[in-house]
Amino acid sequence: MPEISRKAVVEKTAQLADEVRVGPFAYIGPEARIGPGCVIDAGATVVGRTSLGAKCHVFPFAVIGADAGQTGDGECLIGQANSIREHVTICAGAETPTRIGDDNLIMIGCQIGRGAVIGNHCILTNCTQIEGLARIDDYVGTSAFTFVAAGAHVGSYTYIAGYAGVETNVPPYAMVQGFPARVRGVNSNKLRRCGFGDEDIRALKEAFRDLFNGDAEGPDARALRRLEADGSLNPHVRRVVEALGDKERSPSHGNSRLGGRTGEDPRR
Amino acid sequence: MIDLTVIREIAPSASVAGDAVIGPFCVIGPHATVGPGSVLRRRVCLLGHATVGSGNVIEEGCVLGAEPQDLKYGGGPTLLIIGHRNRLGPRVTVHIGTESGGCLTRVGNDNVLMDGCHVAHDCYIEDHARLGRNVLLAGHVLVQTGAVMCDLAGAHHFTTVGRYARVGPRTPVRRDVPPFTDFYSQDHERIPPAVRGVHEAGISAASLPAAEEMELRKALKELFDDESALQTKIEQLVSMGVEGEALALCEFCQRSLQGVYGRYRELFRGQPTPEAQKFMPPQEQATIRRQAP
Repeated sequence: MPEISRKAVVEKTAQLADEVRVGPFAYIGPEARIGPGCVIDAGATVVGRTSLGAKCHVFPFAVIGADAGQTGDGECLIGQANSIREHVTICAGAETPTRIGDDNLIMIGCQIGRGAVIGNHCILTNCTQIEGLARIDDYVGTSAFTFVAAGAHVGSYTYIAGYAGVETNVPPYAMVQGFPARVRGVNSNKLRRCGFGDEDIRALKEAFRDLFNGDAEGPDARALRRLEADGSLNPHVRRVVEALGDKERSPSHGNSRLGGRTGEDPRR
Repeated sequence: MIDLTVIREIAPSASVAGDAVIGPFCVIGPHATVGPGSVLRRRVCLLGHATVGSGNVIEEGCVLGAEPQDLKYGGGPTLLIIGHRNRLGPRVTVHIGTESGGCLTRVGNDNVLMDGCHVAHDCYIEDHARLGRNVLLAGHVLVQTGAVMCDLAGAHHFTTVGRYARVGPRTPVRRDVPPFTDFYSQDHERIPPAVRGVHEAGISAASLPAAEEMELRKALKELFDDESALQTKIEQLVSMGVEGEALALCEFCQRSLQGVYGRYRELFRGQPTPEAQKFMPPQEQATIRRQAP
């Protein structure tokens, strides 16, 4: 049986699984679905066509599934075991749903726009702004006050340093910094923590050194051509090269908002 | 007139002083304490083992004592202590400590924390500090007496903001900020964060004796006016026999140099800081020793 505070407002048609706890003054809208073991803390709001997977924890004053005053009913699909901290807002997507994977930690005051897609195991630090239709892949970390522009695609295992503004796409495994953000190196600490071998990290570091030298917006074209032609490339470096070579995703071709990308994740 | 008991949630075991004002939609958890004369405006959540002293004003939507955003936190009954006469603006969040960091987050007396500030686990704010809008303190940060942090400033884990120092707007603090200095970055860090002057308002706020102030100014000029090695300049000043605030400044800079990346408190990574031992209430000491890894 769900454990609902007498002072919470839960609409009759909301679907609450077993062992859901709802704190005082929380509001659960009529179309919300809350998975087993979720905790909705005091004053939190879950509205719109929002579904929360098992064991999510929504902290006080988080607002999930509100539309940004645009069209009305939007959709918001959230996976399992996410921690959504105080004052976070997650907007519902109008044309495509806002999607959040599993095991993410979304810290205080983060704002996630309409139709954004976030993978698994991401850590978004306080006040991270993810604009609508942006895509964040798995194991991405952001620092405080970072900004990801609408439609930009951030590759997996990437780290975005504090106060950085990501306006174009970012390849996987990168460490980016600055406003506008530039690739500054390989996110080797995270890779080591995730069990990557020294061999892979060294190969990535060498490739990044050739590709990103100086403050240019995109990768070095000659280095990119050379790596593309290399038949015996490390598979992780291959992923980087593919991400950079893909015209729609490449930093040198702006962000995919211009390409009309919808934010739909093909893996799901 | 709506019955206030319906639109408030105060746990029976919470300790709330008789003359404390608890506004509508406030939630006071079972282990929370509110001292006399404190005002909790509206929608304030006091969770966990949060203690609020006397005469504090806590504005709308503050969440105090929630569990830390630290993946190492084990769920223990760690503490948050807020002293007296502090003003917390709307949407301020302050978290309890972690077991590995000393189990205590503390905000001292007479501090002002403006809208949206975040004080993370195991942070210590001393007295008379002013934090502007949306200032974020990461874990284990120490903000010393009289320090000023302007809007959107952010402090990295284990940094110290020295006494009466100023951190400029939108400035990342990645290493310790020495006392009485003006530390800022501009233009999206194209002018990188660094000590860029003396915090005049800080010096006057500290109201030092004239001789001590002159010595402090000389030491600040000596240490930060040119780019040569800080270590030798510190040694020179100490061998000259500086005293008072000037000596404290030298010692502060020396400690930062000993630390990791200019952050003295990195040396306490994974163990209780001196502040945790100093400020932990005696009745809690035993619990903390049990929890320490």
